[in-house]
Amino acid sequence: MDIKRAAVIGAGVMGSGIAAHIANAGIPVVLLDIVPKDAEDRSVVARTAIQKMLKTDPAPFMHPKNAKLVTPGNLEDDLGLLADVDWIIEAIVENPAVKADLYRRIDPVRKAGSVVSSNTSTIPLAHLTEGQSEAFKRDFLITHFFNPPRYMRLLELVTSDATRPDAAAAIADFCDRALGKGVVRCKDTPGFIANRIGTLWIQAAINAAVDLGLTVEEADAVAGRPMGIPKTGVFGLVDLVGLDLMPHIAKSMLATLPEGDAYRATFREHPVITRMIAEGYTGRKGKGGFYRMNKEGGKRVKEAIDLTTGQYRPSDKPRLDSVQTAGKDLRALAEFPDRTGKYARTVLAQTLAYAASLVPEIADDIVAVDEAMRLGYAWKHGPFELIDRLGTDWFAELCRGEGIPVPALVEQAAGRPFYRVEGGRLQHLTTAGEYADVVRPDGVLLLADVKRASRPVFKNASAAIWDIGDGVLCFEFTSKMNALDDQIMAAYGKAMGLIGDGPNGDKGGAWKALVIHNEADNFSVGANLGLAMFAINIALWPQIEEMVDAGQRTYRALKYAPFPVVAAPSGMALGGGCEILLHSDHVQAHAETYMGLVEVGVGLIPGWGGCTEMLVRYAANPKLPKGPMPPVAQAFETISLAKVAKSAAEAKDLLYLRASDGITMNRDRLLADAKARALELAANYTPPEKPSYVLPGPGGRAALELFLEGFRLQGKATPHDMVVCSALAEILTGGDADHTEPVGEDKLLGLERKAFMELIRTPGSIDRIEHMLTTGKPLRN
Amino acid sequence: MKSVVIAGYARSPFAFAGKGELVKVRPDDLLARVVAALVERTGVNPQDIEDVVVGCAFPEGEQGMNVARTVSFLAKLPQTAAATTVNRYCGSSMQAIHQAAGAIQMGAGEVFVCGGIESMSRVPIMGYNPILHPGLRKEYPDAYCSMGMTAENVATRYGIPRAEQEALAAASHAKAAAAQAEGRFSEEMVAIPLPNGGAAERDGCVRPGTTAETLAGLKPAFLADGSVTAGTSSPLTDGAAAVLVATEEYAKANGLPILARIRSIAVAGCAPEVMGLGPIPAAQKALKRAGLSIQDIGVVELNEAFAAQAIACIRDLGIREETLNLDGGAIALGHPLGATGARITGKAAALLKREGQQFALATQCIGGGQGIATILEAV
Repeated sequence: MDIKRAAVIGAGVMGSGIAAHIANAGIPVVLLDIVPKDAEDRSVVARTAIQKMLKTDPAPFMHPKNAKLVTPGNLEDDLGLLADVDWIIEAIVENPAVKADLYRRIDPVRKAGSVVSSNTSTIPLAHLTEGQSEAFKRDFLITHFFNPPRYMRLLELVTSDATRPDAAAAIADFCDRALGKGVVRCKDTPGFIANRIGTLWIQAAINAAVDLGLTVEEADAVAGRPMGIPKTGVFGLVDLVGLDLMPHIAKSMLATLPEGDAYRATFREHPVITRMIAEGYTGRKGKGGFYRMNKEGGKRVKEAIDLTTGQYRPSDKPRLDSVQTAGKDLRALAEFPDRTGKYARTVLAQTLAYAASLVPEIADDIVAVDEAMRLGYAWKHGPFELIDRLGTDWFAELCRGEGIPVPALVEQAAGRPFYRVEGGRLQHLTTAGEYADVVRPDGVLLLADVKRASRPVFKNASAAIWDIGDGVLCFEFTSKMNALDDQIMAAYGKAMGLIGDGPNGDKGGAWKALVIHNEADNFSVGANLGLAMFAINIALWPQIEEMVDAGQRTYRALKYAPFPVVAAPSGMALGGGCEILLHSDHVQAHAETYMGLVEVGVGLIPGWGGCTEMLVRYAANPKLPKGPMPPVAQAFETISLAKVAKSAAEAKDLLYLRASDGITMNRDRLLADAKARALELAANYTPPEKPSYVLPGPGGRAALELFLEGFRLQGKATPHDMVVCSALAEILTGGDADHTEPVGEDKLLGLERKAFMELIRTPGSIDRIEHMLTTGKPLRN
Repeated sequence: MKSVVIAGYARSPFAFAGKGELVKVRPDDLLARVVAALVERTGVNPQDIEDVVVGCAFPEGEQGMNVARTVSFLAKLPQTAAATTVNRYCGSSMQAIHQAAGAIQMGAGEVFVCGGIESMSRVPIMGYNPILHPGLRKEYPDAYCSMGMTAENVATRYGIPRAEQEALAAASHAKAAAAQAEGRFSEEMVAIPLPNGGAAERDGCVRPGTTAETLAGLKPAFLADGSVTAGTSSPLTDGAAAVLVATEEYAKANGLPILARIRSIAVAGCAPEVMGLGPIPAAQKALKRAGLSIQDIGVVELNEAFAAQAIACIRDLGIREETLNLDGGAIALGHPLGATGARITGKAAALLKREGQQFALATQCIGGGQGIATILEAV
């Protein structure tokens, strides 16, 4: 079955967020909620929720136009709309009686064979379907999204014996491909996987901080990045979720967890926290949480709560010997002989032992548990991967030392790791104590798997080239932060030498297409600024010019190469990282790709052909009026304001992506989609023709400078903005071009180089680069 | 001298550009509706029309291709009526009236349709392809001084405090809102069918209840520490207006509804960086040519491009408050550049009759440093 239309019942934060994300997949969705007493607009709840989402940051919609796919309605007048939908998601209050009543109302009106799922996070499936029709039971399952639904990749899927396997398969497939979720099959147990483990982890981390006398900053410094957990740590996370939610979750867990569950012993109320909730200090949505930004007296001072006194005090960034010494060595952190090391030991022992004790109770294998924690709580490593980092034997010892029973799975591992690579394949330890391959869903191709199974075709300090099969090479950035440098340019050269002629130089060789892709959080945030600053400091101007020139030559060579180049970005693709995408034959972008030419932020202009490529795109845009100025003015606006698209869909608006470029919702499917597109293009490939440009020349530049002057007078453009944007205006208008004589791209590339080299020598631009390197933020000088 | 009269006035509702009701209406269609209604309401014999003179500040795109001729076809005027498009920026359609009056004086016709049009939604201010003279911009940057900055310059030169500008803006809204509430626009208004099936029937820019206090909260729009805000500037507007210009003899012979006689006209240049002062020399010339003083003028339609420039003109010309923009000005009603001249001239003529006054002045400033003025008298 195909999901062509959907409905969400309950327009709260989760329900409306789920509806928005279904709309992001291009699927029309009905959003229903109750009719408030005496409401003039009977669908006001759903309608307001949609309006509110258009103003929410981070945005639930990938593009504002998606809001039009969400039809607001109410549960009294619009139940009939459910007759047309293939999937109904219930996301109402966590009350079994209210849910049961709703199910009885929707069952008779829904389409035969449509699927109904609940977004419950606490109520067992068996309880939810009690007393419902047999057909309802067959069509029912739990789909548990995480907040915010667009951004959190985990989807926990729970079925019962009664659930039709094809219904579950259809929903799983839709959530995977259309919504981009990592679908993890869970057993019907309280809190499923992620919240079951996450709840205990949070409780254990708070308890230990109080018991060991750590400040919230110290606790988060240990339990955050060093453990591969987002830097918010535990206290920062609770601030985000809401302190007031914690007692509800605890209550629900305590009501449903089995006797003897470790959470029961871990659960503890802390008077300071109870008082904070009572007084409205419920986190970011309230008056403040464990942290708050105190804006009294006009200044913004970050403060943290003292866990003993319950009073706020200025927050500090602790420098902990344990964290400094251990670096990336998790075991060294846990072995560190002070209270912060003890903190790490306690939290790791309790959390990981609990997780290890729950397989197979909550999931069939450890892979599901690790996946759930990675995608649902943004842990870099799942619990079993963390145990591997500590060593299973060492961990068993730790448990004993902490007085925690060693989980059966850990005992059974008997010193073996939970994961190993055998014959190039990733394997995991099963509950039977044997190793089995980690199986990827059909159509998923991970570079990590390729890397485990093979050696790179080529590798240098900043890039690697991998054979991903069927004649396609994958170009991976490996530099720090995927910053672009001369090594990457050299590796591109190498790749171009490999493709077409084969590895041995024989014609009709092994490779016929190139995919540019990596699995880091961010595709690339641009050129290596540190390196540029170093060169500036010792006035290596010729070398800088050569770097600009080499980048232009390389990107041109890729663009006009006799084989297709497909780029597959995810996360940020900024500056030079954006420019490489602009030069690719096709971009297969992950839906969460954030593209932008942000060079003006560091006092520069896109010098690797970014200006030139944007002009081509705007000139070819049929939506713009005719004449030499409209493409120039649009490119000027996009680049001078350093616009960054907040999704791949938005990148299409800005023409960073072309209409023909593809968007993949599930990041795990990105490489496979890109490879397939590369092979399609390779079948009958001809390189693009060189464009020519009709540009307005100095008269157009004068017009752009007039606009700039207006911004300066309004106080919106700084003095150095004027310098940088004037240089940009000169490039985009074609220097001394005359619109009766079209110019070629070589002239524009020359203008880019000239402007870049002039700007990089100006004190204003150097200040901007230095400021960015030291603070990570643009300088407004 | 022949006696030249305004024998009919009509206009479309004015609406915010970019977000108002007329965004999806082509400017040629918009003016054609108004012209057709003007012809029908006045009862002029279309066969007698000598020329259709249309003012437009940015005559390109849907306003290009000699839009006057397109409008004539769309309004189903006979082929024998000629058509020309004139450009004097904001003064374009008052210039259209002057052009017709001049032609009549030359014996080159008896009845003219004079209109103006600007869809600032569909053709941006400065046009689609603003390409300046780079040498002039370098040598004489004031030639391209932005309109907002001219208002700031006038405010500084005349020492016009922000509060005074806001008082004028609030008064403009109050007068327009009262006129709207009392149906005083109904006679001039032409309903415009909309693509969605409805019709635009009311001005969309008027904000009843605007007070000097509400305006005081706005940020300066053009200069970081300036005094001119969006609230004391006329908004970007879509709209069209038209008047019928004829010899008095013809009008009387054909029973046309005469509103006023054109007594004198003038244009004048001034410094571009204070273009808002343009009405001062223009009106002074026109008054002199009419042999009148400002004290003789009972109805004034002064275009409020910006409150600051309007106040400077009021001060220097000595315009009495009780004669000024009786049904509100451009800050409240809007300023579709090419259409404003026809609106304020037609409006002044209509007000002259309605108020039983003897003389009226319609005048406005023009980007680049000009003013234009028309003196009307009762017939």
